[in-house]
Amino acid sequence: MAATEGKRKAGSTALRALTSGALALPGLAGSARADSAAELFALEYAFSWYQEDDIDSSLVAPGSATERMKIQSHQIHIDKPWSGRVDLDFDLMQEVMSGASPIFVEPGPGGKPQQVMSGATIQEQRTDISSAVNFYFDTGRITGTGGVSTENDYLALSGGLEGVKHFNQKNTSLSMGAGFSLDTIKPVDTDEFPLRPEKENREGYDVFVGISQIINEFAIVESTVSYQRGSGYLSDPYKEVFVGGNRVADSRPEARNGFSWLTRYRHHVDLLKGSVHADYRLYLDDWGITSHTLELAWAQSLWDVVQIIPSVRYYTQSQANFYAPYFDQATDDGYASSDYRLSPFGAISWGVRAETQFPTGQIQWRGRISYERYDSGASYAIGKVATPNPGLVSFNVISFSLMGAF
Amino acid sequence: MSTRWRGLARGASLLLCSAVALCSLGCKSLLTPVSPWERETLSRPDMAWESDRMLSSIRSHVFYSKEAARGGAGGSGGGCGCN
Repeated sequence: MAATEGKRKAGSTALRALTSGALALPGLAGSARADSAAELFALEYAFSWYQEDDIDSSLVAPGSATERMKIQSHQIHIDKPWSGRVDLDFDLMQEVMSGASPIFVEPGPGGKPQQVMSGATIQEQRTDISSAVNFYFDTGRITGTGGVSTENDYLALSGGLEGVKHFNQKNTSLSMGAGFSLDTIKPVDTDEFPLRPEKENREGYDVFVGISQIINEFAIVESTVSYQRGSGYLSDPYKEVFVGGNRVADSRPEARNGFSWLTRYRHHVDLLKGSVHADYRLYLDDWGITSHTLELAWAQSLWDVVQIIPSVRYYTQSQANFYAPYFDQATDDGYASSDYRLSPFGAISWGVRAETQFPTGQIQWRGRISYERYDSGASYAIGKVATPNPGLVSFNVISFSLMGAF
Repeated sequence: MSTRWRGLARGASLLLCSAVALCSLGCKSLLTPVSPWERETLSRPDMAWESDRMLSSIRSHVFYSKEAARGGAGGSGGGCGCN
């Protein structure tokens, strides 16, 4: 069972380039694109385990499952030098998903919203393939991307073009890009669930522009604005809404315009041999959602070989205009959703990761292990939430990766 | 596209462009140009925007699937049954 609201084009241009555009400095470490063509062939593998907390039994309708989603992800990344000014990227992700998922919210005793979960544990597999070609010039880079993402009920084709231009001896870099995604969904079990459509399409486009600026030899800042537009079938075919005593299909507007502004800052503290990381993102869209994201981290270097990076992230969002846990009567425009992801809530996550890089013979190695805990709740939101959605989720993610370059 | 959204987007873009213009014209005293041979500190692993692209990709993908916001740092995202 797949959530179209959760679908995203493989290799989103804006998301990818927001990492690469900032690395407009020679020799800046990191696995995102650097400032010159790769000289070494690199192969990286990562495994992630994602598990959601069971939903509290007091929040679900009698007889509903309480177990939620588990996902195992395998990722492979390849950097392939092609010439002195060209290199290639290749990414493969495969996920296996299982568990019950929220379907709709209904009024329980006293009108308290209670979550109805899917009856059976789903098993699904997703495959995501993307690639990029990078052309490097003396004062910049141009990258073309393309990708495919597929599940048994979903197919997305995506592509994009982005560029980086350096100024002032690369003290300043300007990046911009655009991308698209064409998605098709064919929900399963439409005979058993007649509210589900047989087949739907949607399109997504995004553009971004960003600038990174060296402040001094210890600090750098980057700021990027992006615009995203989605059109077509943007509802979730596997979700329903309780309206006026009846279950109806989740129904969202056929267009969505979003704007995000991300600013990131890095500052090295030489006395402590570590660096401060601070990221802030503002998001607005015409579904009525405003969100703020603040992430802080401290990257502590040990003997210049190991980095220990504790981090904390705070997120808050307002609700969509057409959202409610349930509706006593039909809405004027016909749009209605009880998806918890469109509800007002906040979330705090904290994590820690350890990274190391070292050579053995001709091979440069890099390894990483990480853990993150995410808790969401109405009490974390900015502003009072009158009625929390019972489907809000908390989860743990454990991940490790290993890369060899030669 | 609502008037509210359009106005906020226009305002934020204007603010960003103004910040860029201001920094390039009037903020030079706040910036210390760094020559390529002086960037050893900036190239440290602990100074990377994202030291691990694949972890950034997973995190971006997870947050995208669980939250309404779009865009921002992180790698690619794809479809997900994590609902």
